[in-house]
Amino acid sequence: MIPVLEIFQPKSVDEICRLLKSNNGDTRIIAGGTDIIPGFHIDSPRFAGIKRLLDLQLVDELKTVSINHQIISIGAAITFSDIITNPVLNSYLPLLVKSSKTIGSTQIRNRATLGGNFINNAPCADSVAPLLVYDAEIKIKSFTSEKIMKLQDFLVKPYATRLNPDEIVTKIMVPVPSTDFVGDFYKLGRRRAVSISRISLAMLMMNEDKIIKEMRIASGAVTPIGTRLYDVEEFAKGKVCNEEAFKEIAIKLGERILAVSGLRWSSEYKIPVVQQVCYQLIKGIERRSL
Amino acid sequence: MKINFTLNSQNVSIEIEPNLRLLDLLRDRFNLTGTKEGCSIGECGACTVIMNSKAVNSCLILAGQCNGAEIITIEGMESDGKLHPLQENFLKSGAIQCGFCTPGMIMSAYALLIEKKNPTDEEIKEAIAGNLCRCTGYKQIIDAVSQSAKEIKINT
Ligand code: FES
Ligand code: FES
Repeated sequence: MIPVLEIFQPKSVDEICRLLKSNNGDTRIIAGGTDIIPGFHIDSPRFAGIKRLLDLQLVDELKTVSINHQIISIGAAITFSDIITNPVLNSYLPLLVKSSKTIGSTQIRNRATLGGNFINNAPCADSVAPLLVYDAEIKIKSFTSEKIMKLQDFLVKPYATRLNPDEIVTKIMVPVPSTDFVGDFYKLGRRRAVSISRISLAMLMMNEDKIIKEMRIASGAVTPIGTRLYDVEEFAKGKVCNEEAFKEIAIKLGERILAVSGLRWSSEYKIPVVQQVCYQLIKGIERRSL
Repeated sequence: MKINFTLNSQNVSIEIEPNLRLLDLLRDRFNLTGTKEGCSIGECGACTVIMNSKAVNSCLILAGQCNGAEIITIEGMESDGKLHPLQENFLKSGAIQCGFCTPGMIMSAYALLIEKKNPTDEEIKEAIAGNLCRCTGYKQIIDAVSQSAKEIKINT
């Protein structure tokens, strides 16, 4: 059941901060609503006790994309449909665009937002792994403060983040990636369209003279929350680009994911699949970097 | 709370409970029962309407979020008693069997045609991926949409 509540449509971030000022948890921001409303419907405890919703639809400053001093800032309430058609994001952050295309249906992508995807911190939030490999940071505002935090640090555990009740995430900030990076995103769902992801991986790789100079890998869905796999990245660094090294990296990744997620009923299926996905991703990226 | 919005090209103003879903607003308050409720959680697309030129699931939107919006439902598709080419072609191609998915399907197709005059079959499939049909097997629906795109192009 959708609880009895009030809906406000503030016009600016300042107004939102004022409305959130003494929030004790009964006020919640709603962007696309594609998570909150089905959540209400099943009486999910995640959305219990909400009495006021602040709808972001009219806050234009939360939907823009701009580049300044090599930092791309993306308004947190941008929809996935708008990400997919945005020229800046298409040229600088192709993995984010690719992952956005795999989210939900057209109807969902027309409403669901980038900020909403990680603020709910569902393990299957498809845009998180790409944001992590791009070293995304987020800007958080309240009536009295403003802070910047690494996205990875913001995500605590499934469905939990460091967001306080009086705060709003206003922007996602991504440094313009070096043009030497080639990358890819892969999502495995149970079916091709409109799927919830089971496994997703984002990867960026920079090679020089057939040596891996830098590799960045992040996982989604297969780990409890989206996670950068720093030790695998470290392991890959300096390796010569050949089949054997790629296999070693893939095996290492599987081990690491198992360590992060613990053994689950699905591990026997997922780990070899993750390893295979990783191997194929590296091979594909290497082919494109030649 | 009171909201004002455009519904099938008419300005409307109505006093509502904010927690009413757009779907219920359309069906119960405006008696526009063409829009259907299937799953209530954004999976089936039976409740699809157009909001500000885009296809959305009306089961996932609260009426309090619609102030100032422009909404089109299946009832807004005909003009002067004539069916829209999409409606004509759904009938002709056998893209309707039980008809439950049809209004949502047509609204998704309409949103596609607003954006793309010449959609490929792949683009049509993508546009209706969020609309489930348990009867037709989709082939007839894709044919109906692509036929409509051709006719609309000739007539404009
Ligand atoms: S009833 Fe809205 S998507 Fe199924
Ligand atoms: S015609 Fe029956 S569900 Fe599509």
